[in-house]
Amino acid sequence: MGVLDLLKRAASPLSSQLGGRLGAGRGRRGDEADLFDEEFQRKLDYLALVSRRVFSGAMRAERRTKKTGSGVEFADHRDYASGDDFRYLDWSAFQRFDRLLVRLYEEEEDLSIYFIVDNSSSMGFGDGAKLRHAKRLCAALAYVGLANLDRIAIVTATDEISGRMPSTRGKARIFRVFRFLQGQQAEGHTDLGEAMKTFAAQHKRRGLAVLLSDLYDPAGFERGINVLRYAKFDPFVLHIVDPADAKPDLRGDVRVYDCETGDEREVTVTAKVLERYGQAYNEYLDEVRRFCTQRQVSYFRADVDVPFDELILRVFRRGGFLR
Amino acid sequence: MTFTGLPLATLLQIGALAGAAVVAFYILKLRRRPVAVPYSRIWERILRDKEATSLFTQLKRLLSLLLQLALLALLLLALGDPRAATSLVEGRNVVVLVDASASMKAIDVAPTRLDAAKDEVKRMVRGLGGSDRMLVAQMDAAATPLSTLTSEVSELEGALAQVAASDGTADLARGLRFAADTLRGLPSPEIVVVSDGALGPAVDSSGTVDLGDIKLSFVPVGKSARNAAITGFSVRRYPLDKSRYEVMLEVQNTSEEAMDVELSLLGDGQVTDVTRLSLAPKEKLPRFYPNLSGASRTLEAKLALADGGGDDLPADDRAYALLPERRRARIQVVSRGNMYLEAALLLDEYLDVTVVSPEQYPGRGAFDVTIFDAVTPNVAPQSGGLLYLHPTGTNVPFEVGKEVLDDDPNYRLGFDELDAKHPIIRYTSLSDVNIARANPIKADKDDKVVGKSFKGPLLVAGRRSGVKFVALGFDIRDSDLPLRIAWPMLLLNTINDFVEEDTSYISSFRTGSVWQIPASSAAQNARLELPDGSQRTVPIKDGRAVFLGQHAGFYKLTTGEPGAPGGEESHMFAANLSDFEESSIAPRPTLEVDKRVAGSVSGFTIGVRREIWIYLLAAVLLITAVEWFTYHRRLTV
Repeated sequence: MGVLDLLKRAASPLSSQLGGRLGAGRGRRGDEADLFDEEFQRKLDYLALVSRRVFSGAMRAERRTKKTGSGVEFADHRDYASGDDFRYLDWSAFQRFDRLLVRLYEEEEDLSIYFIVDNSSSMGFGDGAKLRHAKRLCAALAYVGLANLDRIAIVTATDEISGRMPSTRGKARIFRVFRFLQGQQAEGHTDLGEAMKTFAAQHKRRGLAVLLSDLYDPAGFERGINVLRYAKFDPFVLHIVDPADAKPDLRGDVRVYDCETGDEREVTVTAKVLERYGQAYNEYLDEVRRFCTQRQVSYFRADVDVPFDELILRVFRRGGFLR
Repeated sequence: MTFTGLPLATLLQIGALAGAAVVAFYILKLRRRPVAVPYSRIWERILRDKEATSLFTQLKRLLSLLLQLALLALLLLALGDPRAATSLVEGRNVVVLVDASASMKAIDVAPTRLDAAKDEVKRMVRGLGGSDRMLVAQMDAAATPLSTLTSEVSELEGALAQVAASDGTADLARGLRFAADTLRGLPSPEIVVVSDGALGPAVDSSGTVDLGDIKLSFVPVGKSARNAAITGFSVRRYPLDKSRYEVMLEVQNTSEEAMDVELSLLGDGQVTDVTRLSLAPKEKLPRFYPNLSGASRTLEAKLALADGGGDDLPADDRAYALLPERRRARIQVVSRGNMYLEAALLLDEYLDVTVVSPEQYPGRGAFDVTIFDAVTPNVAPQSGGLLYLHPTGTNVPFEVGKEVLDDDPNYRLGFDELDAKHPIIRYTSLSDVNIARANPIKADKDDKVVGKSFKGPLLVAGRRSGVKFVALGFDIRDSDLPLRIAWPMLLLNTINDFVEEDTSYISSFRTGSVWQIPASSAAQNARLELPDGSQRTVPIKDGRAVFLGQHAGFYKLTTGEPGAPGGEESHMFAANLSDFEESSIAPRPTLEVDKRVAGSVSGFTIGVRREIWIYLLAAVLLITAVEWFTYHRRLTV
């Protein structure tokens, strides 16, 4: 019997409520109910166990964030970016490499983990696989965080903070997480820049900001990430990618319009155009990855056709979420 | 450029409507299907790349519209059936008479003159104007239309392919009359004669052909005249010795140059005689082969140049003849006894004589000839030709007059007028025959009075229901005729005439004329096997099968059926060209009809083909194919 089963018993009213939802209806409602089914929950137990084994001996507040200046243990360098404190510039490194590098120190603290789930219309495009995937990943990571006694909070973002689950702690809160996520629908325009500004203003306590998004931001995906960076959050980008987006089922003369903005473009789709579209799409993914890498923003691509537990393990292996 | 199809105003109206429709459909085509995408900025990246080519894209789209409008314009032009003004000859009606006479078989123009003529006509067919109509007719002894008056090129070329040369002459007058009748009342009539010109004057029994205002054109073919021909070939048995025969051949050089030729005579395919002859220009050389004997039935003469080569017209280098068949004639004599008659019949060993009394008539079997000696019973079937000697009764196919006596001291009763050319009195002298009494015969207008006294006809030949008869209006015993050599000659000539085996036997017919071939009198039709092996059914009229012969060679005429009464009878005959005019193959550059010289053909220009609309449609198809290909290869989208 897993931990979640015990918790479920303890919180039986909630569990029965969930179970009722699980059995209710079909289609999208059924999908929402199936989102966090028992199979999912068993995998969460397993993931939590794995995270414990990897970080055995770690107690509360043993998570470390990369914060400049506030710790004593040197961790790493990174390129200077505008807004960084001059005091942390490594002048000796500058003399040696002729590059402006900022010293990073690890600081141990009681880490807050913020999950920012993009629930704009593009996330629900098609069969809504991206939003479902994001919700599951969010739930899984939240459970791992809760299991490690971290403080987690979840917000949903479009061009604003459309939903918020306040900070909470302890594994028993996982069902609250489930309920919150199940209630979120994909609608609205993406403007991560504005949404993140609101988020940063509302959350003074800095911490890990896990952004789960397809990054289809007409204003540019960079803005949202940069706002988090400038606000001293530690961004972790989980890029939700649906491979079907790279191969749209289009042919002939069509008028394509953006599902969020409604912007229209006329295009005659041929095999050649589709090929070029695929190339452009891959270039876009590369651009996102390159941007994050250059700014030492943890980036992880989460394809919707890869099971979430496998992705979580990959995240563990890559590091950056659990330290 | 002139539009001979839809008028220009109509074309413009259709063009305006259809053009508007094309543009409307084009605009409709540009309304695209809306499709939602998750992120349009990636599309914008592609389209931004395509911005550089957007002008070209716009041009392609404009080009697409222009292409469709061009297709429409081409179709409208095709509907208009445009013609170049220079090639526009309005509504001609042309009858082409293709000479198919023997001279067109000449090979001085490879492969033959007829093929060259066909090529000329084919060029004319392909140069026909849009509203022109043409009829192709073969002109030989007859004028045979091979197509309708049409503008269909395929039909005309099909008709042209059917033209085949005969071994006869061409009847220009008949051809022109046929063409004139065909063109009567039609606008812009024209007759085109395609020939080597060996046609003779356009005159027939109705006089000179008058073409009125019909345009006459002439297309000459041929270039050489080197030819030698067999212009005569006949054979006959000797009258008093029918086991022997003689052959007459006539060879003629129709060209202007001397020739050495080799003349071969073949009997049943075996060479009987070979002779070398030198022919001066235009020389005619008869040659006799007397006293020939043997069992040969068919004779063939061949002419070749002494050097082994051939002349320009091989068709007249061969001639055919058949020896008259020798068979025993079956004679039935119905008589109470006539020594003179019976004695005369003994002179010919090829006669099977059956003597019956009037009461026993008819005798058993079928007979070629029945002689009624002073009796006139009802004529039984299968009695053959009828010879009446002194008919007195009423049961005769003619009227017999009252008895007349030789009682005028000033005028002797005998033959005062004789038809010396009639075959039954050939080799006889009857003018001084003395007759004591006679019953003149009143002949019908179709009967032939062979001998006539001042008191009426005494010797009459005729035909009743296809059965020949000869009537002698006196008893030979009442005259001195039996004492003369003329009596057996008259009797045997008459029998030969009945059995078609007289010494004037036609050894060959002449091609290009209507033949009257002796046949069984009872049948209505006969089967005629032609030299090429094909068979025709020909009608029999008055005991003769009638057929327009066009080809030289041996023919076989069969009458009756194997199981029918009288059985099946067949006999052969030969046909030859034997025409000096036709063998004179020197091409004539002009044709003159009724003092009017035919002009040369004009208005049949190949290349400026009437069907410009065909090319327009072809262009439409081609452009559509290109458009289809480029569309599906995504080159123009």
